[in-house]
Amino acid sequence: MADERDPRAERFERYLDALLGGDRPSPDDVASGDEPEMARLAAEMAGAVGPQRAEPDPAFVEQLRLRMRAADEGLVAIHVPPPVRERGQSHGVEPAGRRAWHLTRRQVLQGGIGAAAGLAAGLIGAMVTGNRRAETPSLGADDELVAGEGFWVEVASVEELPPGSALRFSTAAFDGFVVNDDGEVRALSSVCTHMGCTLQYRPEWRDLRCPCHDASFDLTGRLANGRRAWREEPYRGDARAYPIELPNLVRPRVKVEDGRILIWTAQA
Amino acid sequence: MSTGPGRFEQVYDEHVVAIYRYVYARVGNRPDAEDLTAQVFVRAVEQLDTTRQPGQIAAWLYRVAQNAIADYWRAFYRLPLIGVDHVAPGWEPADDKLRPEPAPDDRASVRVEALLRGLPDRYRKVLELRFLQRLSVAETAQAMGISSGNAKVLQYRALRKAALIGDGTDG
Repeated sequence: MADERDPRAERFERYLDALLGGDRPSPDDVASGDEPEMARLAAEMAGAVGPQRAEPDPAFVEQLRLRMRAADEGLVAIHVPPPVRERGQSHGVEPAGRRAWHLTRRQVLQGGIGAAAGLAAGLIGAMVTGNRRAETPSLGADDELVAGEGFWVEVASVEELPPGSALRFSTAAFDGFVVNDDGEVRALSSVCTHMGCTLQYRPEWRDLRCPCHDASFDLTGRLANGRRAWREEPYRGDARAYPIELPNLVRPRVKVEDGRILIWTAQA
Repeated sequence: MSTGPGRFEQVYDEHVVAIYRYVYARVGNRPDAEDLTAQVFVRAVEQLDTTRQPGQIAAWLYRVAQNAIADYWRAFYRLPLIGVDHVAPGWEPADDKLRPEPAPDDRASVRVEALLRGLPDRYRKVLELRFLQRLSVAETAQAMGISSGNAKVLQYRALRKAALIGDGTDG
């Protein structure tokens, strides 16, 4: 049998390789056409059979419990309007257990458990420097974290990161994105500073979007669809402003060396 | 009445493992399963009325999980919503009869086995080696006496075939 090669099969193998290795697969390795359905089938097969059990990591369960406890105590939550009901469908009485959320901006800033989780994830002993880049206006977004104890770790190559793209990376201590913002490479935490959900990169919007409450962060890590930004210009595609201000995303230091992208990560 | 502090955590403890398994069986990898599980409970802590009947609470959680999974496949993989009753996250079923069937893991594996049985021998073989035995491409190729390139092509065709079968039977 002659050696056969098919670029589609080679690329799709990258998806399978991550999936079967227990890593996060990338949608970038899945083309349109039949492949999304193939990917879903492969994911179901990977989830249903094989030696990797579907049990959650106890550390994950515990960490999420702590996040939920803090949220349940009303420390960090945004008010979510009750679901819209059709007229005549209202049951009149609100259930007794409906909780009211009280929150001030100060509490959010103090209690940004997402930000705290990002820090606890490994940037212990980190400190925020002043503005290191004189060429960009000072808005706080260009503060970088400089960790005390740590090391440089390679997270991607320049080739993998053309302008306008972003890549997820995980180190032992930190989960984040490296982004190429028209030639400037930055690293950003992938943890939303509201409640710690994992952000998703939207290339068409060039933002990091939170699936939980639709906060959008720009590629410098600032909240892009908050009320303050909204006053200047409504955010593209959103019906209304994100209701609270949020701290910036944590930004580890990043450098490019010999075509490799490295970030500074704390000792795990 | 059990509305005091800690009620939500009780709900969390009762359901987190089951919701995680439910999600995991549909995304097949841990990082994504953890993200989606977190999404479900973030919604729940804000919107779920914990004074409801236990059956309704379970129904609500599975429904939100279903939506999160559907959004995952649609947003990332551009998969259209097929056979998923997509509803707003604040939706709550009026009664227990509307509860979606929580599909246990064994049902998923039964479906996978049925799919594999429906495939030609070589297609089934390559998928069994990779998914059940978790061999690498190189090991799979060696076991089947073919090149790595051929093994990748074979598994690609096998998955495409299986996806087309699945489309037809899983309405």
